[in-house]
Amino acid sequence: MSEELEHSFIEQLEKHQNIVHKVCRLYTNNQDAHNDLFQEITIQLWKAFPKFRGEAKFSTWMYRVGLNTAITLYRKKKRTIRTEAFDAFEFKIKSEEYDDTEEQQLKLLYQAVHQLNDIEKALVFLYLEDKNYKEISETMGISEVNARVKMNRVKTKLRTILNP
Amino acid sequence: MDELDLLKKDWQKSDNSYPKLSYNDLYKMILKKSSSIVKWIFIISIIEFVFWLMISFALKDTKSMERFKEFNADAVLIPLAAVGYIILAYFFYIFFRNYRNISVTDNAKVLMENILKTRRAVRHYVGFNLGYLIVSVIVVLFIEFDQDPQIIAQVQKAAADGEVLKFYAIFILTTMLFLAIAIGILLLFYWLVYGILLGRLNKNYKELQKMEV
Repeated sequence: MSEELEHSFIEQLEKHQNIVHKVCRLYTNNQDAHNDLFQEITIQLWKAFPKFRGEAKFSTWMYRVGLNTAITLYRKKKRTIRTEAFDAFEFKIKSEEYDDTEEQQLKLLYQAVHQLNDIEKALVFLYLEDKNYKEISETMGISEVNARVKMNRVKTKLRTILNP
Repeated sequence: MDELDLLKKDWQKSDNSYPKLSYNDLYKMILKKSSSIVKWIFIISIIEFVFWLMISFALKDTKSMERFKEFNADAVLIPLAAVGYIILAYFFYIFFRNYRNISVTDNAKVLMENILKTRRAVRHYVGFNLGYLIVSVIVVLFIEFDQDPQIIAQVQKAAADGEVLKFYAIFILTTMLFLAIAIGILLLFYWLVYGILLGRLNKNYKELQKMEV
């Protein structure tokens, strides 16, 4: 592939790399697995890039490829060890406005999200990224009504995990 | 505020907390090789096609097959071989067509369906080969009993001893045992391939299907 294409791809990826980090954040539990998945998503994005025609925004296109890789294409490595609450500690935002209760609640929430299955995580991810139900349904290949129904079930499930 | 909204607020504030990979880091990543399940499915599927092709070639050169050529069985064996190759070409075509349809930019459900379709073509091909193996064994046995002087002599000897039923029973049971072992090995292979490679995909696909009910 031409150098120009390579350059254009890496520049855009560099700018939007947080999307990939965020997918990894939901689907992995430790730094090694995070790096592995990040790499696989990057490879898949690069392989698919020549067919990217710019009809959608690069970032929108990244959501789809990123989630597809995490849900379907990625093979978890054996050495992946589940570490508890990695998420809340690694990415905690240190801010004055956080009180202990909210911080504790967020920590539990992230842990609860990690207990969801792959598809539920994808719905939560798109919801957290402020995608509307039309975009969620198009990314997942389900109807808008079903996306809405499932999202409500996920909310209930999260509540059950948090308050058993 | 519900739980997810609280999470969303935190999530959207987290943009500065992720590592920032440099242009060079990302460049190094695109040079690495993928280890996606699609790549493994492709490799395993090709191995399966080659495996069955080699089996058919390996059987051709055995002594018993050489001996078999002396019998008047071309009318049965040539069409049987021709059907085998035509079916191989057909499944190979279907496999490649489905494989080329796999695109990571499709929606999640279509992507999963296309991957499963690709595997299904190979699975049907293996199913066909098992059927083909069973039919071939039966055809070969009929020809042997009909034309092989050694076997005819053995049958006659067994008949003279009054043990013709025992002779047939041993012959049929041995053949069935051989087929059962071959099928058992294949099922084990499938259990492993599907378990390791497609277990997660199948689970996620079922989850998506469940939503549509």
